[in-house]
Amino acid sequence: MSGSRVLVVDDEQQILRALQTSLRGAGYEVETADTAEGALAAAAMRPPEAVVLDLILPDGTGADVLRELRKWSSAPVIVLSAVDDEQEKVAALDAGADDYVTKPVGIDELLARVRAVLRRTAPSGEPVIEIGDLLVDLQKQFVSFSGEPVHLTPHEFDLLRVFAQNEGKLLTHRTLLREVWGPGYDGASNLLHVNVSQLRRKIEPDRARPRYLLTEPGAGYRLVDPTARA
Amino acid sequence: MRGLARRIAALVVSIGALALVTGAIFALDSFAPVLSLGVLYVFAVLPVAVLFGLAWALPVSIASMLAFNWFFLPPKHTFTLSDSENWVALAVYLFTAVVVSGLAARGRRRAQESALLAEIAASLLEREQVRGELDRIAEEAARALQVESARIELGSQRTGDDSYPLEAGGRRVGTIHLERPRAGTAASRRHLLPALASLLGIAIDRERLAREALEAEALRRSDAMKTAVLRAVSHDLRTPLMAILTSASALAREDLELGRDDRGQLAETILAEAERLDRLVGNLLDLSRLQAGAVRPAPDVWTVDDLVVQALDALGDAGGRVHVSLPEETAAVRVDAHQVQSALVNLVDNALKYSSDTVGLHVTTTPSEVLVRIVDRGEGVPLGDLERIFEPFQRGTNGVRGGAGLGLAIARGFAEANDGRVWAESRPGQGATFVLALPIVTQAAE
Repeated sequence: MSGSRVLVVDDEQQILRALQTSLRGAGYEVETADTAEGALAAAAMRPPEAVVLDLILPDGTGADVLRELRKWSSAPVIVLSAVDDEQEKVAALDAGADDYVTKPVGIDELLARVRAVLRRTAPSGEPVIEIGDLLVDLQKQFVSFSGEPVHLTPHEFDLLRVFAQNEGKLLTHRTLLREVWGPGYDGASNLLHVNVSQLRRKIEPDRARPRYLLTEPGAGYRLVDPTARA
Repeated sequence: MRGLARRIAALVVSIGALALVTGAIFALDSFAPVLSLGVLYVFAVLPVAVLFGLAWALPVSIASMLAFNWFFLPPKHTFTLSDSENWVALAVYLFTAVVVSGLAARGRRRAQESALLAEIAASLLEREQVRGELDRIAEEAARALQVESARIELGSQRTGDDSYPLEAGGRRVGTIHLERPRAGTAASRRHLLPALASLLGIAIDRERLAREALEAEALRRSDAMKTAVLRAVSHDLRTPLMAILTSASALAREDLELGRDDRGQLAETILAEAERLDRLVGNLLDLSRLQAGAVRPAPDVWTVDDLVVQALDALGDAGGRVHVSLPEETAAVRVDAHQVQSALVNLVDNALKYSSDTVGLHVTTTPSEVLVRIVDRGEGVPLGDLERIFEPFQRGTNGVRGGAGLGLAIARGFAEANDGRVWAESRPGQGATFVLALPIVTQAAE
């Protein structure tokens, strides 16, 4: 993964410099841009393998950049957001961002996320997905945890299926609702929250401290393999 | 309608009284000289004067005189008099009747005026806010003053005729304008208007005084707030900044011989202190938003499980010291997840600060609310401080353990912005319990 080209977009020069130094130190080749236009130009000239994108740019929003970029590139994008940009963040994730980190960002966190999005491949066509102690058999509609069968309602199973097929990826509320309940359920986040809580009761050893099904505040959920965490 | 009924009543009472007294004189005629009985007509005039005023008493006086003449004075059943003495007697009766009825009517009017004033005074006192109800008050005043309509204007400017100043403490605070007075009511208005005007003036001024007192109090509080903010800023912001500056400058100097461990330690300090600064700035921002009323929750339905999970997650390593118990059936609440999470984090953070041991987080439900109890085993909070600790920049009296004293104020602010409540309970010497209560929404599972 080292040697991959990462495009960093931020209008604050100090932050740009800090990110550039850290990413370069971790072995990545770093391109920078400080405007939306500059970002698209840089991405077109030297297509990056991953993008770190600030949400608020002087000539547009990160979501705008993302929509343009997605027309021709599927490079994973990590959104860089401040606490106040909640809505912008969700808009960017819905527009196709792969993940986000909140400013001020620790470099460990950012590096881990960059590694994760670079590692991620397209959902596998495998009928049986194993994530840590969790086993999801899509064909037989069977779920077990540590070898013990887990009984799920149809919606809980669908939810777990979507999570399992996108292991490690941040899924927004909207994405999950569309995938599981279908279009027209965009506002029904209560369904999602209640089902996630029920799913946790069934698969998490300690539901107050979930290790598999994580909440990303203000954005969505992601299913991770706790045994494989770098 | 009422006027007509009253006129009929007055007519009936007048005729009745007249007939009654005439009958009585007939009955007494054989026992006393008839001329001395004429004075009895005063008993007809007096009640009419008291009940219906001079306008009715005067005709009754004249009618009494005529009836006395007709029925009792010779030659009877004529309006002529044979004896000139009787003319004098009749004139005296009439005069007495008119004077008595005038006095009685005046007494009655005074009583009415005082009753009216008392009524208006009471209604002015009852009103919290005079300014918003000027129209209604003007209506009442118009009724009392017997004018078609009245209008009250605030301010000290002088305007037009037919207006009367409203004054309080020698200052003009407003004007009352009277329009189309009813005929024949000028006298009572002359009496009533000054008293009413001073009542209105005082009521309007009272409101100004109350507002000024409130503004002064707000100013005093915001002054105290500024002092507290400055103190917090100068101490709590400076301390981590100082640590960062010292550590970073040490790292930047090339002539210092630092080992790997030393460098690592300096970097750790910078990291930790920068995080502390970030939290403090976040708290100050949250608090200023709460105080400015600029907190707009974006509510959504969440399970309490999820909110607790998010709060523990945000606490990082410190969250490991929290012992959690969740109810069998999870409950759903409609809140802004970020704000409630912040409230929970601040409550737990506070408990961790005052407890060297673990901290308990117990979720229970009542039919209408979810209660999240955060139980520490610190020294507890003195009873007198249970409310005070929720004020910004306040710390418990027993011991100062860092922090700017913002956490509890933020927790309460965010809870209340989401229709929740936060309060503290304490058993002295056995630790404190902070309770966050949120209203339950009916669950929708599928």
